[in-house]
Amino acid sequence: MNSSSSHCKSFSYFFSLVLCLGLTGLPGCRNKADYPNRPITLVCPWAAGGGTDRVSRQMAAHLEQKLGVPVTVINATGGKGVTGHSRGLNARPDGYTLTMITLELNTMHWSGLTKLTFDDCIPLYSINEDYAALIVNNDAKWNSLQDLEMEIKNRPGQLKASGTASGGAWHLATAGWLIAGGRSADDVTWISSTGAGPSIQELISGGLDMVCCSLPEARTLLESGQVRALGLMAPRRALGFEEVQTFPEQGTDWTLGGWRCLAVPKDTPDEIVNDLTQVIGSIVEGETAISSGSDRSKMTFSKFMETQRFDHTYRTGNELREFLSETDAKFGELLTSDAMKSVNSDRFSPMTFPYIILGLMACVLLGIAINTLRQPYPFNRTSREPDNAQLESMTISVQRVGNRGLTNFGIIVTAMIAYMLFVEIVGFVLLSAAIVLAMLCWLGTRLKNSLLITIVFVGIVYEIFANVLRVPLPRGWFGW
Amino acid sequence: MASAITTAITDVLQWQVLLVILFSAMYGIFVGSIPGLTATMAVALMVPMTFFLGDVEAVAAIVTTVTCSIFAGDIPATLVRIPGTPASAAYATDAYALTLKSQHEKALTVCLVFSVIGGLFGTLVLACSAPQLAKIATQFTSYEYFWLFLLGLTCAAIVSDDSRMMGAFALLIGLLLSTVGLGTDYSTPRLTFGFDALITGINFIPAMIGLFGISEVLRNALYLPGMNETAASQVVGKEGSESKSRTVEASLLGRLRQVLSLAWQRKLHLLRSSSIGSLVGMLPGAGADIAAWISYAVSKRFSKKPDEYGKGSLEGIGDATGANNAALGSAWVPALVFGIPGDSVTAIAIGVLLTKNITPGPNIFDASEKPEQAALVFSIYVAFILANLVLIPLGLLAIRAGSILVHIPRRILLPLIVVFCTVGSFAMYGSYLDVSVMLAMGLLGFVLESFKVPLGPVVLGIILGGQVEHKFIQCITKSTDVSEFFSSPISIILGLSIAVLWCAPTLAKLMPRK
Repeated sequence: MNSSSSHCKSFSYFFSLVLCLGLTGLPGCRNKADYPNRPITLVCPWAAGGGTDRVSRQMAAHLEQKLGVPVTVINATGGKGVTGHSRGLNARPDGYTLTMITLELNTMHWSGLTKLTFDDCIPLYSINEDYAALIVNNDAKWNSLQDLEMEIKNRPGQLKASGTASGGAWHLATAGWLIAGGRSADDVTWISSTGAGPSIQELISGGLDMVCCSLPEARTLLESGQVRALGLMAPRRALGFEEVQTFPEQGTDWTLGGWRCLAVPKDTPDEIVNDLTQVIGSIVEGETAISSGSDRSKMTFSKFMETQRFDHTYRTGNELREFLSETDAKFGELLTSDAMKSVNSDRFSPMTFPYIILGLMACVLLGIAINTLRQPYPFNRTSREPDNAQLESMTISVQRVGNRGLTNFGIIVTAMIAYMLFVEIVGFVLLSAAIVLAMLCWLGTRLKNSLLITIVFVGIVYEIFANVLRVPLPRGWFGW
Repeated sequence: MASAITTAITDVLQWQVLLVILFSAMYGIFVGSIPGLTATMAVALMVPMTFFLGDVEAVAAIVTTVTCSIFAGDIPATLVRIPGTPASAAYATDAYALTLKSQHEKALTVCLVFSVIGGLFGTLVLACSAPQLAKIATQFTSYEYFWLFLLGLTCAAIVSDDSRMMGAFALLIGLLLSTVGLGTDYSTPRLTFGFDALITGINFIPAMIGLFGISEVLRNALYLPGMNETAASQVVGKEGSESKSRTVEASLLGRLRQVLSLAWQRKLHLLRSSSIGSLVGMLPGAGADIAAWISYAVSKRFSKKPDEYGKGSLEGIGDATGANNAALGSAWVPALVFGIPGDSVTAIAIGVLLTKNITPGPNIFDASEKPEQAALVFSIYVAFILANLVLIPLGLLAIRAGSILVHIPRRILLPLIVVFCTVGSFAMYGSYLDVSVMLAMGLLGFVLESFKVPLGPVVLGIILGGQVEHKFIQCITKSTDVSEFFSSPISIILGLSIAVLWCAPTLAKLMPRK
């Protein structure tokens, strides 16, 4: 008992120490003298390996060369892009968090997923515009857009298309095309999918009639001739895919493209915005080059985009703002139109699957209840002797739960909650050290040993995560 | 063809490439053994570095990192019951049970040897039959995927030790958790209970760390006043008589010999599990996690000692770990042939290949047309083989180093694990929601285990739930009729095997009574 109270003392001692440090350290330590002086995070709202990710990582490598600090890409995926956009644009406006915003920033606020719009960010540079294309299987009977439009007219609702989740950019492109041609948006059934890759796989295995996605996304199978593009929803033909006719060329007045743009949160200081815009400008103009390609030749950013068959139209400043508000208005018109209402209301309620699961769960619980009633005792009925294993397991769960155990339990839970609440303020190094030290002392390690273990352990963890793995750990007081 | 292969071999056997393989292997083991950091993250972190490497080096680096990190995921799974990567979740309980019996080094050596054999087999499959196998993958539409995912879930539920009912219950909890937030097919979130943060849903990495790791920490904290004990000393106290067998086990070579003879005894089982791994790994979206579960379930079903499964069965561990490593090689099949990645790692790999001016496609193996490209593809195979070979010595070292954990007293180990898990779950996406998910899942796991509900199915439910729901909604959107769910032979076979797996034990019970 004696020892435990002394632990209590050391425990509270360290928390009060941390508190004192906090009060003294709160003001000051905002040093913007030389930007950038620590690692920069580039938030990519889409998954690793996809187009946005590839462009982001390439851009990060160039930024790193130009700025001289590490630039780490984080894939904050999920929520149809909401997660990444809101994480990036709600970050501290200090220039250390960049976001690769994409077309979805223009659509998701119209469909009510978030309040975030492009007004919540300062767009720096748009670096890519890829237009939607209609892809069909090579052995499909349609040879032109007109053939396909005729088929849709004859068999409304029979053909299946995919390319992204329902309500996603490529879905809107398809719906807009149908509406522009005087058809209804659900004359083609949209099968929701997780992206262009899975959709194209489904297309070649015969599960779909057409896929709407950008040309680089379908490049592999286009080049091998397993699929072909009927048309590109663009004002001009695409670089590297010159053989694909545009929609306007084929008499359908409809264009829609996706874009990728680097942005920082709204209140970022002007000088940082200017710095970054200049830096990106010099990158897209080819001032930096990193080695890639089979012969290890140095490659500029534009050259990379070209070899990847990504379009590289660059916009900045007022031109970019106008472009963004223009596309935003276009999506607003499309998404609020009556023709899209029917498409946006999901065919199956989001609760369909959860209800099925809950139903099954009820059945299983009933089954378990019946089983338990049939065998209420841990005795084997045939032998009439206690089943040792079962008896043992029953006793283990009730043994030795003392106050001490409950306190341990509580402390571990509290430590994790404290971490979540205070780490942004206190910073990773100080808070983890305080938590480890407090827990070590409480569990009965001597103070001197605890201090040693804490310093070594927190040092190693910091080194691993922040420096080797380049995880942006929270920095608080003293920039720790 | 032959010239392409010789070019590939000479390309890989250069000192720069070998050096890259060595460093990537160490890096892979390192990242894989940190709970919360997956093989995917290990590779994603490497991408900027591949910009500065040559083609062969870049490919070798990716291949080696994945191979080694999937094995390394077994180390924390065995020692502290926190799977380093999701692929280890299937046998975490078994492996940890062996640690409690102080046989962790043996368990890990089994993991290592069987991983290497499975990995080599997967490479062989990739090398010999990629174009042919790719044709099977094109037969899979959303119906077949739906059945395949259901089969994976079934396997996880029926292997649980106590009863199929408890397994099914655990699975349903996992599936229900996976539906929180914004589904793939919907534009309105559900089950978020007004918390905007939950719109993203529950991420399975922190969920896994919480369910397996934190729940174990909490139980230790609650039931073990003797904080000075280590996992090792606890056993010595309980079963002193076994100490003799442990000293025999301690010799490294002896242990290796033991494990190799076990592998030889189980060569047919290994063939079976590696084949399962290769087949499942090849299907886009399936991958190593499901492969491990299915293989574990099959292994249990046909085992002579099914009672040991879940309580430290070396057979189960070996079969499952062989399958998850075999899946790695074949995940490259659809990636190379169609440019459609088999898992998240090959998704990144395709990005890197494209940067290196290599276009995946059916003609990628054609040496006559693009000899450099074909040679690079063959160097993937060579890199896989080398990666598996270099894994043996490095893996043994890692096991040695990791085993120190077992000798640290709990009073020191527990706080360190808590902080490590917290940072690990934060690291992946830099989100505090993930830390709270970890804590909540830790408490859930603790409660579930006190009611003897297995945790593995919960994890697989969370991992696969989104995909199962997505394929299910896709299917019912497409179909006009229930019969379309059984419209192809593959669907019928998969559907039937699910029915058999659920009903077989009941039928077997009924049979002899007749």
